[in-house]
Amino acid sequence: MALFLQRLVDGLSEGSIYALLALGLVIIYRGTGHLNFAQGEIALFSTYAVYQFGEWGIPIGIAVVLGMVVGFAVGSAAEFTIVRPVAKKSAFAVFIVTIGLFQFLNWLDGAIWGGQQLPNSSVGSTQKLFPNLFPNQPDDFFTIFGANIKYQSVGILVLVLAIGALLYLLFNYTKLGLAMRAVAANAESAKLVGIRTGMVLTVSWGIASAIGALGGVVFAGLNQNVNLGLMFFVFIYGAAAATLGGFDSPGGAVVGGLAIGVVQNLAAGYAPEWVGQEMKVGVALLVILIVLLVRPSGLFGTSKVERV
Amino acid sequence: MSARFAIREGGPEVWTLRVLAAVALVLGVIAIPTRASDSLIDTATTTLILMAAAMSLNLLLGFTGQISLGHSAFFGIGTYTTAVGVTRWGWSPFVTLPVAFVLAFVVGAIVSIPALRIKGVYLALVTLALGLVFPQFIKWNKIEWLTGGAAGLDRTGFKFSKDNPTYEIFGWNPWGNLRGQNVKPFYFWVGLLIVVFVYLVCRGIVKSRVGRSLIAIRDNSTAAAVMGVNLAVTKGIVFGLSAAMCALPGCLAAMRTGTVTPDTSLLTVSGAITLLIIMVVGGSGSLWGPIVGAVLFEFIVEFTGDWSDDQAIPGIVRPLFSWSEVSPAAGIFGLALVLLMFMAPLGVVGWCKQQVARVVAVTPKPAGSGTLAGTTSAPAEA
Repeated sequence: MALFLQRLVDGLSEGSIYALLALGLVIIYRGTGHLNFAQGEIALFSTYAVYQFGEWGIPIGIAVVLGMVVGFAVGSAAEFTIVRPVAKKSAFAVFIVTIGLFQFLNWLDGAIWGGQQLPNSSVGSTQKLFPNLFPNQPDDFFTIFGANIKYQSVGILVLVLAIGALLYLLFNYTKLGLAMRAVAANAESAKLVGIRTGMVLTVSWGIASAIGALGGVVFAGLNQNVNLGLMFFVFIYGAAAATLGGFDSPGGAVVGGLAIGVVQNLAAGYAPEWVGQEMKVGVALLVILIVLLVRPSGLFGTSKVERV
Repeated sequence: MSARFAIREGGPEVWTLRVLAAVALVLGVIAIPTRASDSLIDTATTTLILMAAAMSLNLLLGFTGQISLGHSAFFGIGTYTTAVGVTRWGWSPFVTLPVAFVLAFVVGAIVSIPALRIKGVYLALVTLALGLVFPQFIKWNKIEWLTGGAAGLDRTGFKFSKDNPTYEIFGWNPWGNLRGQNVKPFYFWVGLLIVVFVYLVCRGIVKSRVGRSLIAIRDNSTAAAVMGVNLAVTKGIVFGLSAAMCALPGCLAAMRTGTVTPDTSLLTVSGAITLLIIMVVGGSGSLWGPIVGAVLFEFIVEFTGDWSDDQAIPGIVRPLFSWSEVSPAAGIFGLALVLLMFMAPLGVVGWCKQQVARVVAVTPKPAGSGTLAGTTSAPAEA
């Protein structure tokens, strides 16, 4: 029981990170119908930026906000300068552009900060570990039903639920949220009633990238360092979460992310022979495949009616 | 569009150009293994490997529009078939080529079953997951006994001994020293064989009825189905063939290096992205696209390979790149993908075709001037 509870909480906190990535994917997908393959790399760039802020002596609480600003800037600039102009041509062009951005950002991280994992004493990092948003000393846990629950696990979960709640408020109680929903529902009509759809899309990409950046920073904190391959797997887990929840449902993204985190951790914990650390990604592949085949709209998404 | 020159399709000018190009190509290809330095032969062989793999991806993506980010997995199937066959069961590396072909065909055809329902970027997502799973699968402790796990496998290439025949052609030996260790030219020829094979298969498919149905599927799958194209079978065969042909250069990669590990970059997702870059830069949906793309790719990678050291950068561009800690190749290609989508969505080959078409117009044969195959000669024979 104690072991189960512990794995459950670990799964929830890992799943929270996937949920953040999934939220970003969903916000962009709702607006434009594009899948942003560069999501993980925008987050990684922001995470490297947070490391840099830490090197300059900025406390993590402020650095993470600055990192989200960096994410917002990169995401909205990408939408405005490279995605929107090619969106008129074809969906394939958008796919290639996001892959190009993926490749470019990953290279840029390496070009600025080098290929080694950071913080690293060999390149003169003053930080010992990647700064964590939550207390993560060995004795920062409490015991419930015999399970040791770390403060950071609970902190991450609460953080994601708070982001979810904020997004709910944004979508339902602000003019910008209303505009975003209008663009998602019908871009043409939204334009006709005077909504500046272009601006809305740029802001959507910005918000999505800022949330992704938060996910990257939290994951790097959990991982205790940042490296060039950090977000490859997290991205596919986030995409699996978005698929499971439904690509146009923010609530679904959170539920999907938590569910995938829990399933992965339970599977890896109870069947270490079969799943272990290596085949965790196999769980994600299975989830994506089964959901797309059985229920392409996901658990909470609206099914798309196609006209030919 | 006003072209300055007009030449007739199939006319003497076209043939002269074709013969000249073919002669130049053949001479160039023969010159590499016989005249060039060892390191250049090595680079050329890498180029051939990338070329064949990108061509197989092009068959799938360029001609049917099915996005795959998991071709590194099929490449890896080839690599590991050779590695496992040679080290565990003592097969000759050549035997592993057809085995890998069949194995990858089957896996590709199985992957194509969900691909029938999953389209566009969703398929990219599924194949991306496949590409991420493959190296993990190789490391999986359940099959470690076969694949060697994360440590990989050793001695996966040919075993050259003093008793080998040298296969000289009238005293001329273009294969390198098959009795000793200098076998770089030999691997170049194997690579060339694979590229020619893949090219001919792609060409055969594209210029045939199957190819026309593929393009119909890409442009409007519903209309294609209405016209009587069997979507499931056509897509399945093409997916299978594309996977199978991608496995062949994978086999060569295992033979050539002699060691295999699951984290080699071509076996991971970055390999799949490399293939995508080559295809898009060269020109998707064109037979020569991946060929040009692979040469450009390898040239830039080699040219900028040591640029992490500032002194190696040519003086003029040094201020542009000296701040970078790593070689700028990856960044250049990322930028190139974005810029190409703005300026030349059909890649370098597509852009060149456009520029040539401005100057030279190839006019089709006037209707009725040619003889239709079979109508005039067949009755006379009978």
